[in-house]
Amino acid sequence: MHEREFGMRIRNLATGALALLATAGVAATAAPAQAQNITAPAPAVPAGITVQAVQVPGPSLMGNLEGNATTREAIVVLPPSYAKNPKKRYPVVYYLHGFAIDGRNFYNYMKVADAVAANAAKGAEFIVVVPDTLTKMGGSMYSNSVTTGNFRQFVAKDLVAYMDSHYRTIAKRSGRGLAGHSMGGYGTLVTAMTYPGVFDSVYAQSACCVSPRGETVESATAMAAVPHDKVDSAGFGMRAGLASAVAWAPNPKNPPFFVDWPIRDGKVDPLVIAKWANNSPYAMVASHLDALRSYDAIGLDVGTKDGLIADDTLIHEELAKFGINHQWATYEGTHTDKIGQRFGDVVLPFFAAHLDK
Amino acid sequence: MFRPLMALGAAVLAMIAVPAAARTERITVHGAALVGNLEGNAVDREAYVFLPPSYDAKPKKRYPVVYFLHGFFATPKMYDDLVKFQDAVDAAAAAGNEVIMVMPDAHTVHKGAFYSASPTTGDFATFVARDLVGHMDRHFRTIAAPASRGLSGHSMGGYGTLKIALTHPGVFSSIYAMAACCMTPRVFTIDQLQKIAATTPEQAAAATMSEAGALAVLAAWAPDPKNAPTFIDKGIRDGAVDPVFTGRIAANSPLVLLPQHLDAIRGLKAIALDVGDKDSLKSENQLFSDALTQYGIAHSFEIFEGEHGNRVAPRIRSKLLPFFGQHLAH
Repeated sequence: MHEREFGMRIRNLATGALALLATAGVAATAAPAQAQNITAPAPAVPAGITVQAVQVPGPSLMGNLEGNATTREAIVVLPPSYAKNPKKRYPVVYYLHGFAIDGRNFYNYMKVADAVAANAAKGAEFIVVVPDTLTKMGGSMYSNSVTTGNFRQFVAKDLVAYMDSHYRTIAKRSGRGLAGHSMGGYGTLVTAMTYPGVFDSVYAQSACCVSPRGETVESATAMAAVPHDKVDSAGFGMRAGLASAVAWAPNPKNPPFFVDWPIRDGKVDPLVIAKWANNSPYAMVASHLDALRSYDAIGLDVGTKDGLIADDTLIHEELAKFGINHQWATYEGTHTDKIGQRFGDVVLPFFAAHLDK
Repeated sequence: MFRPLMALGAAVLAMIAVPAAARTERITVHGAALVGNLEGNAVDREAYVFLPPSYDAKPKKRYPVVYFLHGFFATPKMYDDLVKFQDAVDAAAAAGNEVIMVMPDAHTVHKGAFYSASPTTGDFATFVARDLVGHMDRHFRTIAAPASRGLSGHSMGGYGTLKIALTHPGVFSSIYAMAACCMTPRVFTIDQLQKIAATTPEQAAAATMSEAGALAVLAAWAPDPKNAPTFIDKGIRDGAVDPVFTGRIAANSPLVLLPQHLDAIRGLKAIALDVGDKDSLKSENQLFSDALTQYGIAHSFEIFEGEHGNRVAPRIRSKLLPFFGQHLAH
């Protein structure tokens, strides 16, 4: 394999999410300096909606080498009739946040409670849950890693079990939807492929990290040179690279990052690049067709002004090539400017059409 | 990467007298997972079933099952001619280790399925883990539980053993991979891909082992339902090897799959790997053993004196069957 091939792929996570920083610019500059994570002010909760912040135990995260918390906050949004109809059970939409933001701020930014209220007013009631997967590197990548913790399994098993045992959910596949934005859109696709049978339908908004990530000698060298105590100030793109590296090529014998760096003996290490590729949704489709075919519905969308549009078009074409039914939309917008609005106007109605009521 | 099985011929053992009760059944197993494969591989597959001597005499007894996956450029018959599985099963039974052994046919248009999930080849991983296991449990007196199922194989079959253990957890409890191939991601050059793209079906049918090996792994790992007649992805974009093509192939390498499937591998009761000291696959098997150690996965790894194929028959008797005798629930 030639190094030039590695370097040709864009740092696709950074392209999109830098836009998120720009959009949330005011909040971002107001955030504490130690970690460059995105914040958004808490919106008012609409009448009739109940919002609960719960602590979800994560057996799947136990023993992670990065020291990420194994009990995670999740924001649970209950629809207006939940308290009034104590025997009624509800479909649940699991909503995964993006990189460099936590679950609570994503809930704030997306105005999830407004979306739940607006859909309830049209007769489509859901429980929506937003789990927090912010890690030391800035995001879990919703992957299974001894270093980061098995966050993909946390979502598909621990969180689902928690919701089904603590809320009046429709506790079966036909009552569960999975959605996410950016890194969360990526998480939606890879969870759908590797944990079939849990969710009925999935919707990825502006999914990042679709193509296999590549490196040049220069970029790989720079990544491996980041001091462990300087990650927080390493910049969005570098943090995204580090988060990907620890999620996709963990090495319990290589502290303090517990990672296999993508460079060895002065060359890009093809085995590390291959381990990363094994986590690329685009590369994974061909070997996960049965799982993909098992969904009631798959939705994808991306804005025409989003740097991720080329990548997201690729996975749309790949699904089409293998005859996987899905709906695909592009809309006039950036990585961030329409996503909250579309969660209420497009994503929740998508689930209303497919999940049990 | 692929050593001719023919080289194994020297190892043929003298025939041992078979007790009257011992018998081999040749069965046909429907492969629901293979339906619609684009290569036109048969969806009803032959399998050899080697029953222990007491099977007919003890009509209430149930037995553990050792699944064995054959290698590339070969058929079950070729492996049986070499190994004499029935003799091995009888000898194990005489030593108190009574098992049923089964070997399915995974020969394809390109002479080997690589036990992967491909629409071009057919999903042979699911065929083994679901269709074949289901058939055995319905039609034979098996102990129908993971604790009593072992999975093993040689070369391409050793690869299949690891691949299926990683991607279909909860079916088998112990695995033994003999001289597994394809541990590390295979990389193709532009020249190789251009040559492969120009291969006619006639040329493919007459391919050498090495040429067929390339076609077979690409059919298994880089399928393209739109690219008839091979239904293999061309792998070239903008004049270079398409990174996603390389990525798709990488996503089938046990060394690459391992970190994402640690729970599956940790769920196994016992793992054994071996390889000959004169086998060109020695270094990649060492790498996989090192990776298991890196992630704290207990396993045995033996480098024995020998080549890729010259000790398969004796080692099935002296190592593989005793391993399953020790680890499978009887």
